Amino acid sequence: MSSYKIDIPPTALSTLKSRLENAVFPDELEDSEWAYGAPLADIKRLVARWRDGFDWRHEEQKLNAELPQFTRDIEVDGFGTLNIHYVHKKSERGLGIPLLFVHGWPGSFLESRKIVPLLTAGSGDARLPVFDVVALSLPGFGFSEGPKKTGFSFTQYAEVSHKLMLALGYTEYVTQGGDWGASITKEIARRYGGEHSKAWHINLILAGPPETQDPSSYTAIEKDGLARLQEYKRSGNGYYRIQATKPQTLGYSLADSPVGLLAWIYEKLVNWTDAYLWTDDEVLTWVSIYWFSRAGPAASLRIYYEVERAGQGIGRTSDSHIPTTPLGFSHFPKELGRIPKAWYHLVGNVVFEVEHDSGGHFAAHEKPELLVGDLQKMFGKSGPAFGVVLGRNGYDG
Amino acid sequence: MSNSFKIAVSSTALSALKSRIESATFPDELDDAGWAYGVPLADMKRLVARWRDGFDWRQEEQKLNNELPQFTRDIEVDGFGSLNVHYVYKKSDRGTGIPLLFVHGWPGSFLESRKIIPLLTKGSGDSQCPVFDVVAISLPGFGFSEAPKKKGFSLSQYVEVSHKLMIALGYTEYVTQGGDLGSRVTAGIARRYGGMHSKAWHTNVLFSMPPENDDPSSYTASEKEGLARWQEFQRSGSGYFQLHSTKPQTLGYSLADSPVGLLAWIYEKLVSWSDNYPWTDDEVLTWVSIYWFSRAGPAASIRFYYEVAHSGQALGTKSSPPTIPMGCSLFPKELIRIPKSWYPGVGDVVFEAEHDKGGHFAAHEQPELLVGDLRKMFGKGGPVYGVVTGRDGYN
Repeated sequence: MSSYKIDIPPTALSTLKSRLENAVFPDELEDSEWAYGAPLADIKRLVARWRDGFDWRHEEQKLNAELPQFTRDIEVDGFGTLNIHYVHKKSERGLGIPLLFVHGWPGSFLESRKIVPLLTAGSGDARLPVFDVVALSLPGFGFSEGPKKTGFSFTQYAEVSHKLMLALGYTEYVTQGGDWGASITKEIARRYGGEHSKAWHINLILAGPPETQDPSSYTAIEKDGLARLQEYKRSGNGYYRIQATKPQTLGYSLADSPVGLLAWIYEKLVNWTDAYLWTDDEVLTWVSIYWFSRAGPAASLRIYYEVERAGQGIGRTSDSHIPTTPLGFSHFPKELGRIPKAWYHLVGNVVFEVEHDSGGHFAAHEKPELLVGDLQKMFGKSGPAFGVVLGRNGYDG
Repeated sequence: MSNSFKIAVSSTALSALKSRIESATFPDELDDAGWAYGVPLADMKRLVARWRDGFDWRQEEQKLNNELPQFTRDIEVDGFGSLNVHYVYKKSDRGTGIPLLFVHGWPGSFLESRKIIPLLTKGSGDSQCPVFDVVAISLPGFGFSEAPKKKGFSLSQYVEVSHKLMIALGYTEYVTQGGDLGSRVTAGIARRYGGMHSKAWHTNVLFSMPPENDDPSSYTASEKEGLARWQEFQRSGSGYFQLHSTKPQTLGYSLADSPVGLLAWIYEKLVSWSDNYPWTDDEVLTWVSIYWFSRAGPAASIRFYYEVAHSGQALGTKSSPPTIPMGCSLFPKELIRIPKSWYPGVGDVVFEAEHDKGGHFAAHEQPELLVGDLRKMFGKGGPVYGVVTGRDGYN
């Protein structure tokens, strides 16, 4: 294990600046706004800021100051050793519940930024549990090494995540995940549930449909959730289809054009959130992590291909083994979609569920207090998952 | 009024491209990925190196200008104003050529007419062989044609501009050939202007929905295989289609800013959609350069998919087939092949030829075969001989 500080080499910074200075923009149809994709005015403004004004060193310093980071080598069966980057912050008091936070795409360890202080500090209220937080960069993302061989799918992402927790001395732990993190933490619950993964919480719940359905029994919210999912499949999953089939072809663009990468990610940051007020620097920090990532932006796309090839993708019908580990859900209205309660048995053993009236896909970033509040309820005294981790219940002794 | 046109990419554009290529950043690649994840890194590096040093655009440009007489003219499109349209126009070397409009698709261009034009206009030296006057349009947003500025420029508009071009050239009656999106455009021309203007149409890709009383058990082995190829295409080869149809602008930023990205995006199709065609690097680079140097930029061309998807004309939408005679040439590596029982949904097939080699880019891969089919279809003894009044392809 090594302490880690993000320290992008000056050559990388000047190369980026040079690429931005030579950026070539497409035109745009009149009045197209967001219909055809990210609007030209937004991208031009963001590129101008990225080129002059955005201070990566300053953002880097803030990140290093806020998030204690490390790297360590983790052996993954069939893939050798991967050097994994992660954030690790222990609770400020008491015995923090070990919580592994798993991001997705186009997310990163950065999504843990706002929830780490809330989870570890416990808001000063002694009735609330505190957590030890581990936020890893999945292999191929952030500052983790990417796998070199084909076939690195949920099994492997789960394995590396689990081994990280064990390496940190957490034989028992809980997890939180959204986007791919939801699927990966489900895989963790399936493989390591009971003995190691003691409970899991997700904010993206997708599975099914079951063999028999009774759509007339669905509530208005459930119908709306399914409709949103249908719409996503109709008009919002082009990125998924290309990433799941030809990630390398797309990868040449994203590796060579920071403007292209910015547009690719920014479109999701806006479309998938609930009127979240992104600042330009917030967006640029997020995208810079992809641009400066250890494995490069093309590597992060491959998870889609590997998952689809393993038959575990978004279109899969049912899982062979539903984990029995206690599961908590937080529903945010602008998530990509949601499934009816009647399908929950395809996901897991739901012991906790909260409905919110604001927030979207990037819950930890958009609504950190709400998400953390949910975790505090789920794992706190009188919560359904209180004390699941032996000897580390989030309180003093 | 038409203006003679010669491709003359500016030297600033050439040096800007060279400079971008020189600073290209490549991704890594998984071990033994082959073509499964997309274009292999070795191919890309080799092509980019050639594009940077060695590939001579000026020479290619000159060859194109020598081979293909090109023009531009303004064409008014209802609701979209005037668009300056680029096209190739070559009359037959002898006799009265049958006016033939050739319509490309994506990632094609007017360049796809390059090999068939000499064959169509010269004939084969055999007086039994008909000759053609060929018009190969650059669809708006492609090649050196202007692109529409407003939303909603869909099949109807591509149909309109193509038809108006033929009329402007003095061809009140004409025939068409099209593949890929060009097949949809020519089908639209046949539907709207068929009978009075478009007299017959030929395509190398057929698509329609199954008829109501469809009987899958009656399909031949070839037909089953063709449908299986289509399903596989939809499963693993249509990501670009879904993306173009939903977020073309988002993708457009990459294609406009990265020649490497554009090269990969197009090259992948050139290889995976053709039938072991031995692309030379310069052939690929010429093809992609047309996109890079296109008048409207590479992002404009992909909007076609979005517009079609949003105008109620998406593939699979039921519409009545054109009634004018049609011909089809079937090449084994085309992306889709439908069973014969579905043909009535496409049109009135009076000519059909099946080949044992060739893929999606038929005019480029198998020009003699395609032209041979057109000669049979339109020549003396063929099913639509003399379909264009006074211009039967002979003296």
